[in-house]
Amino acid sequence: MSYPEQPAKVDCAPTLSVRNVSVAYTNGHQALRDTTFALEGGTICALVGVNGSGKSTLFKSIMGFLKPNAGSISINDLPVKEILKQRLVAYVPQSEEVDWQFPVSVWDVVMMGRYGAMNFMRIARAVDKKIVEDSLKRVSMWEYRDRQIGELSGGQKKRVFLARALAQEGKVILLDEPFTGVDVSTEQAIIGLLQELKKEGCIILVSTHNLGSVPEFCDQVVLMNRTVLAYGPTAEVFTEQNLTVAFGGLLREFQFEQSTIQDHDGRKVRVFSDDERPLVFGKDGHLEYRDRTDHEDLLKRRSEQDDE
Amino acid sequence: MMSEVLQYLLHPLQYEYMLRAIWVSAVVGGVCGFLSSFVTLKGWSLMGDALSHAVVPGVAVAYLLGLPLALGAFVAAILATGAMAFIRSQSRIREDATIGIVFTTFFALGLVLITAFPTGVDIKTILYGNILGIAMGDVLQVVLIAVVVMGLLLFKWRDLMLYCFDSTQVRALGLNPMVLHMILLASLAAVAVAALQAVGAILVLAMLVTPGATAYLLTDRFGKMLWISSGLGIVTSATGAYASYFVNGQTGGCIVTLQTLIFVVVFVFAPKHGLLANRRARLKTEIIVKEGVS
Repeated sequence: MSYPEQPAKVDCAPTLSVRNVSVAYTNGHQALRDTTFALEGGTICALVGVNGSGKSTLFKSIMGFLKPNAGSISINDLPVKEILKQRLVAYVPQSEEVDWQFPVSVWDVVMMGRYGAMNFMRIARAVDKKIVEDSLKRVSMWEYRDRQIGELSGGQKKRVFLARALAQEGKVILLDEPFTGVDVSTEQAIIGLLQELKKEGCIILVSTHNLGSVPEFCDQVVLMNRTVLAYGPTAEVFTEQNLTVAFGGLLREFQFEQSTIQDHDGRKVRVFSDDERPLVFGKDGHLEYRDRTDHEDLLKRRSEQDDE
Repeated sequence: MMSEVLQYLLHPLQYEYMLRAIWVSAVVGGVCGFLSSFVTLKGWSLMGDALSHAVVPGVAVAYLLGLPLALGAFVAAILATGAMAFIRSQSRIREDATIGIVFTTFFALGLVLITAFPTGVDIKTILYGNILGIAMGDVLQVVLIAVVVMGLLLFKWRDLMLYCFDSTQVRALGLNPMVLHMILLASLAAVAVAALQAVGAILVLAMLVTPGATAYLLTDRFGKMLWISSGLGIVTSATGAYASYFVNGQTGGCIVTLQTLIFVVVFVFAPKHGLLANRRARLKTEIIVKEGVS
C-alpha cells in the first residue's frame, strides 16, 4: 500500500509562472489570451492596463475562481489547486469588494488569515494570536484591534487587509488596487511594507491605476491588454511607447508648453494618467521624476532658479 | 384574585401537548435563529423564502410514499436549488426572477399534488403549521434535524462566517467555497422543513430572517450576533407557542408577531444602530459642523 506523497512545503523563494493562459467567460467573452510571464521571489511587480484589460481575470485565475481554457498557472511547478491548498497566495481585495458593515472587528479579520493553519473548528492557538498581534503591529493597527471594520478610514481599512495577508504568511501576495482611496502617507507606508516583504523573498503582484508610483517601487511591470503586451524590468517596460500602446486613445494625455503650472523652463511633457497619480514623461521620452523626493528636489531647484 | 390570574396563565402548561409544542418550538426557533444570522448577512432572505415553499411538493410526495417528510422536503429543496442554478447559468434571467419562477412552480406543484391525491396531509397544516397537534414521529424528525444542523453549524460557523464575508479568502486558505455554500444551503433546506411544522410554509421566512436582522442591529460582533439571534429564536418561539393557547392555536402567527415586535423595539431603540441612535449621531455631527463654521 502506498501513500500519496506529501508535496514539499515551499520555503525557498517562490517562482510564479503564468504560461500561455487563455480565459473565456461562458458568454463567449475572451478575457485573456495567450498570457505568459514569470516572476521570481523578491520581486514587486505592477500589473498595469486599462479597465477590462484582464487584470481581475488574471487574479481570479490565480485564486482558482476561473479555470483557464488553455495554459497553466503554477508556483514552483505546483498547480493552482495545490498552491491554494498550501496557502501560498495571500490576497488583498479592492475596497469595493468588502462589506464594511459586516459585524467583525479588525482582530477578527486578521485572524481570518490564520484559519487555514488552525484545526477544523478554527480555534485560535497561542501561536495564531501572536502572529495576528505581530501583523497588526507591523501595519500600525494594533490600537484599532477592537474596532468594527466599518469605523476605519480608507487607509486603515487597507492596512487591516494587508495585515491579514501578513498573518497568512503567503509567499505570493496579490494586491488589487491597494492605493485607491488612500492618502499619500498611507501609500508610502504600504510601499514601505511591500519593500520589506520583497526583502523576505515574497512575490508581490500589484494591480494599479496609480501609474506615477510604479517606477518608484516596482521592479517589474506586466503591461496588459487582454494579453501581455510587455513584461520585464520597469525601466525597460515602462516607456512612453509601450504605455501609448497599452492605453491607446483611452488615456488622458496632456501636452504642456511654457504656459502651465510650474513649467517656467518651457519643457514639453506628456502626462500619462490612469485616474490616479499621473506619470510624466519629458520631451525625449525619459521619466521626468521617479519618486516624490526627486519631484520635490526639482521644484526646489526651480524655485531657487527663479529667486536668482 | 392573584391566584386566579396565575391559574389562568398556568392553565396551558397542564396539557402535555402544550408543553411539547413549547419545547419543540423552542428547538426549531433556536436553530432557525442561529441560521438567520448567516441568512441576513449573506443576503439570502429570498432564497430562504424560496426553499421554504419549494419543499412543499416534497412533503406531499413523501406522504404519498410513506417516507419521512424531512427526506422528501430535502430532496425537493435540492431539486429547486439545482433548477435555479441551471436557469441562472443558462440564460440571461436575473437571480431574483429565477428564484421567483422556481419557487412558485414548486409550491404550485405541491398544491396540485396534495389536492389530487388526498392523503392524511392537510393543506392547512403545511401552510400554517400545526405544532399543537404534532405527532411523536414528527417531533423526532424535528429534533434529529435540529441536532444535526446545529452540530454542523457549531463546528463550521467560523468558516461559514468567512464564506459570507469574503469568499476569495476562503479560496486563499485552500478551502472550497462550494462546499461551504452547500453546507449553508443544505442547512437552510433542512431547517425550513423543521420550521414548516412549527409555523407553516408561509411564515418560515420570518423565523429565518427576523432574529438575525434584530441581532444585527444590536451588535458589531458575529459571535455575539449568533447568540443573540438564536436566543431570540428560542424565547420568541417558546413564548409564542405558549401564547397561542389563548388565541385559538395560531402558533405561527404568535411566534412571528412576537419576533416582529422585538424587531420594531430594537429598530427604534438599539443603542448604536437604532433609529434614535442614528438621529442622535446625525445631530451631533451637525452641531460639530456648525461650531466648526462659527
